[in-house]
Amino acid sequence: MNTDVEELLRDGMERFTAEVHAPAGLAGRAGRLHRLHRRRLAARATVACGAAAAIAAGVSFAATDGSAGSGAAQARTAAYVTKRVENALAGENLVFVGRSDSKMGDYVTWAYGPQNRWEAFSNGESAITTGGIQPVKGPYWDQGTALVGGKLVYAYVTYFDHRYSLSPLGPQETSACGKDAALSMGAPVIPTTHWTAFIDATLACGDASVTGHVWVDGVETTKITGKPLTVKLSAGYSKVVKEKFATARWALYVNPTTYLPVRMYGSTETFGGSAGTFTSSFVTNVRWLPPTRANIAQTLVPIPPGFHRFYGLAGNQ
Amino acid sequence: MADDRAVGELERFLAERADRLMRTAVLLTGSREAGQDLLQTALERLLRHWRRFDGDPEGYLRRTLYNLAADGFRRQGRLQRKLLLLRAAAPPPADPIAEVDLRDALVRLLLQLPPRQRAVLVLRYWEQLTEAETAAVLGWPEGTVKSAASRGLRRLRELSDGWQNTEPQLNGERA
Repeated sequence: MNTDVEELLRDGMERFTAEVHAPAGLAGRAGRLHRLHRRRLAARATVACGAAAAIAAGVSFAATDGSAGSGAAQARTAAYVTKRVENALAGENLVFVGRSDSKMGDYVTWAYGPQNRWEAFSNGESAITTGGIQPVKGPYWDQGTALVGGKLVYAYVTYFDHRYSLSPLGPQETSACGKDAALSMGAPVIPTTHWTAFIDATLACGDASVTGHVWVDGVETTKITGKPLTVKLSAGYSKVVKEKFATARWALYVNPTTYLPVRMYGSTETFGGSAGTFTSSFVTNVRWLPPTRANIAQTLVPIPPGFHRFYGLAGNQ
Repeated sequence: MADDRAVGELERFLAERADRLMRTAVLLTGSREAGQDLLQTALERLLRHWRRFDGDPEGYLRRTLYNLAADGFRRQGRLQRKLLLLRAAAPPPADPIAEVDLRDALVRLLLQLPPRQRAVLVLRYWEQLTEAETAAVLGWPEGTVKSAASRGLRRLRELSDGWQNTEPQLNGERA
């Protein structure tokens, strides 16, 4: 990197922002956000109190539908589900494995503590590779945490070009309230390994609600549905996919006996551009495995022998 | 109300600084929409602690802005890459960068860097701060800033390698 390029970068930044001006009303909107933040804190406190009261009184609840609801009933329901999930997980230390399939291929997600892994298997129809769109069948990519030199790092392995990249591990937990969580839940990405806290927070802040009971594999589960979220895609991403907006939707199904999530539904719809509407939807069936050495090992991304390290995003350059 | 008074004071504070802060946020995130979200979030954090500030809160605001960008947008970037990978049916543009000039290209490459490296480069080359000043804004040790800047520049050079074949100006042949 020579000085010329540094100057070019500086000039480029000036050009890039030359026409950027702050919108009016920033302070007012910040004030409204601040009041919303305080209301959310108050809501969490209310649910926490409700949980304690419900458990102490042995409260049970009737199924609710999506529209139900008095605030008090919703808070009791949320507290009940949260507490049971907490109980189910308290004495256990299980490995999460979720399997999703879609028309593009299958995904397997693994999670255990700070370790997580997301594997993609192409069905052979098409995939983006360094050579363009090509048919690929079998393991396509594998990403998540890897143990390198005794340290957890973020690894991204692409099987179609036998490459991998490593980068420092970023924040692992997504806030249950807000864009990141909704977008993660709309894709086969596991935003958390702490389901208790996630469910608690997403119900408390109103980003999701208990919407009834649904039969899954012969068991009546409690359904928790997230609020649909629509975001404007960033300019660069928008240009690549030729669409302008994305809407994420999700639902979680909790087993009433074990009080663990057993199925997840997520969808992401992109639209508003020349490419037309495109929807990716996934049903992820979840199993909870005992924390054996073999199961825990599955939550780490292996770097296959002979693969070359790429300093950047492998397969996406 | 105390809240209204704080918002009024914040408005006066922003009267002179909002545009510059917005530009910084856009550079840190890569788009106006995300930049506005980032700045808005930083301002809300500032309001939480408004009563603590006796003098100029700009230092706190800038530090919040940069640290939010460095911590929070890494995950967002990954998520966008994941969503991109899911779009198997969408062909990549034949030459997505051929239409922009080298300066724009460098900024686009900058936006591909990890958020911490990007934050340091924006502070160093946009805000034109020294390494020590950059370290003070971010609340990081100076050595961390140095290494992040070094890695960021190295990554920028690696990313621009592909350009060098098609954009000879990178090697000093700029018109």
